[in-house]
Amino acid sequence: MSGGAHVLVVEDERNVGETLAERLQAAGYRVTLAASAARARLAWRAQTPQLTLLDVGLPDGNGFELAGELRAAVPQSAIIFLTAHGNPEERVRGLELGADDYLTKPFHFRELLLRIQNCLKRAQDLAELPGEMRGVVRIGLAHVDFERFSAEVDGVSHALTHKECAVLRLLASRVGKAVSRDEILDRAWSADEFPTSRTVDNFIVRLRKLVEPDPDEPRLIRSIRGVGYLLTEVLRD
Amino acid sequence: MNAKAGQGSLSVLPARRTRLIAFLAAVWIALVLSLGAWWITLLVRQARQIGELQSLAGSADSAVAAQWASTRRMVVGESSVFLLLLLAVTALLGWLYWRENRRARSMQAFFAAFTHELRTPLTSIRLQAEAIAEGDQRVELARRLLEDSNRLESQIDKTLELARIEGGGPLSEQSVPLRGWLDRTLSSIAATHGPGVEVRMHLDDSLPAILADAAAVQMILRNLLENSVRHARLERVQVRLTARALNGKVLLEYHDNGAGTAVQGRELGRLFGRGAASGGSGVGLYLVRTLMQRMGGRADFYSAPGEGFRAELCFTASAEEPAS
Repeated sequence: MSGGAHVLVVEDERNVGETLAERLQAAGYRVTLAASAARARLAWRAQTPQLTLLDVGLPDGNGFELAGELRAAVPQSAIIFLTAHGNPEERVRGLELGADDYLTKPFHFRELLLRIQNCLKRAQDLAELPGEMRGVVRIGLAHVDFERFSAEVDGVSHALTHKECAVLRLLASRVGKAVSRDEILDRAWSADEFPTSRTVDNFIVRLRKLVEPDPDEPRLIRSIRGVGYLLTEVLRD
Repeated sequence: MNAKAGQGSLSVLPARRTRLIAFLAAVWIALVLSLGAWWITLLVRQARQIGELQSLAGSADSAVAAQWASTRRMVVGESSVFLLLLLAVTALLGWLYWRENRRARSMQAFFAAFTHELRTPLTSIRLQAEAIAEGDQRVELARRLLEDSNRLESQIDKTLELARIEGGGPLSEQSVPLRGWLDRTLSSIAATHGPGVEVRMHLDDSLPAILADAAAVQMILRNLLENSVRHARLERVQVRLTARALNGKVLLEYHDNGAGTAVQGRELGRLFGRGAASGGSGVGLYLVRTLMQRMGGRADFYSAPGEGFRAELCFTASAEEPAS
């Protein structure tokens, strides 16, 4: 199941980090262990991780800020936050920053393994682009590069999270047709997460801010009452 | 009433509580201002009436004039005292509210940190235990389990000690000979941190015994060493301990080779105070300072980036010879 994927473990607690690294290696992953934000930066520059397990409290920085840097530097890497703080505000913040998942300590290793597999599978699905999605496509104001997980608006580049990419890609693959909220949830979120239809709406609001000339009067990503959303136009650059 | 049994004041939602307090504060301030306005109006009216009556009576009778002046002073004095009292009570209530609010925030931060401190070794213990259950029989796993269980024990001990000290729990002071005792105690504490901790001691030959609670001194040393191990973030933590007699006191200096911190002075021993990159719960150094004060001594902390952490512990020297 692992396929020898490269996992970067950023964890400052030595016992937790070492045991995680050993157990992931035993499960067939290639693992790099970094005990600080500085070492994590060196690690992802040396070798691109397919997935990063990121502790929120680091001795030389905040895991949330590091996630932003990682997202910009290595957009294809999936991120799972590991934290001892399980309050809802932090969880939401982590997911908004582009984390693919969020696991509260103490966790069961099998659960972590399952989530890693799900994240890697989603990342792989995103990497397998149909021909019409390769290169840069234009959606409203944004020049979107699905391969690089980025969108350029007015010359400014924005890193897209995996979920934003998944939602936008799903809509772009059905231009002119309505996509239901349930289908969006099915395709972009895994079964072990518990998002609501409201979660999809929040993602759409963020995507509209990126692509719509006037997000308050959306013309590109339109709401279809009682169904979901419809993307009206995708252009090749 | 029964329906609410078991629900304390903590069950009141913070937003609702804040609104209630804001409402009560507004009512109180409105009451104070109304009373103040009413009293000033009354005062001006009384003063005017006194003045009119005084002019009607004429200035011939000096005894009557003196009585009018005395009455006026009394009215002005009483009014001023009353208004000042109201203002003082308002200020006191405001200060109490601010202090309680700060304490509540500190408690919240402590519980968040305390939970973090429990969850982290618990995560490690679970990971090791799961590995063992799946057939991994490495001694290293047992070593990690031991280290994590020590960390849990220490956290629980610190919390219990904090509760005891804050509740005014007594200390049992006696004559404690530092030579020999210090060596044994520190060695056993350092051993719980593995071979990565090296302690060097330089004690004066003529070092007198100290008047202290041995268990409290043990807790102090354990907290200092734990602090060094946690914040030094080095493979090898070196601690230098020196002790010398000084004018009826015994000065114990503790210095580690850690990274140091920019946090200074009293902030280092503030209850629930935690540095930006600190992983602690903000209890360890507070306990060191408080226990030293309770034993009639003093603890001062110094640190600077790149210069490690230094603690000066000043004990009272014992007049009696320690029991051998």
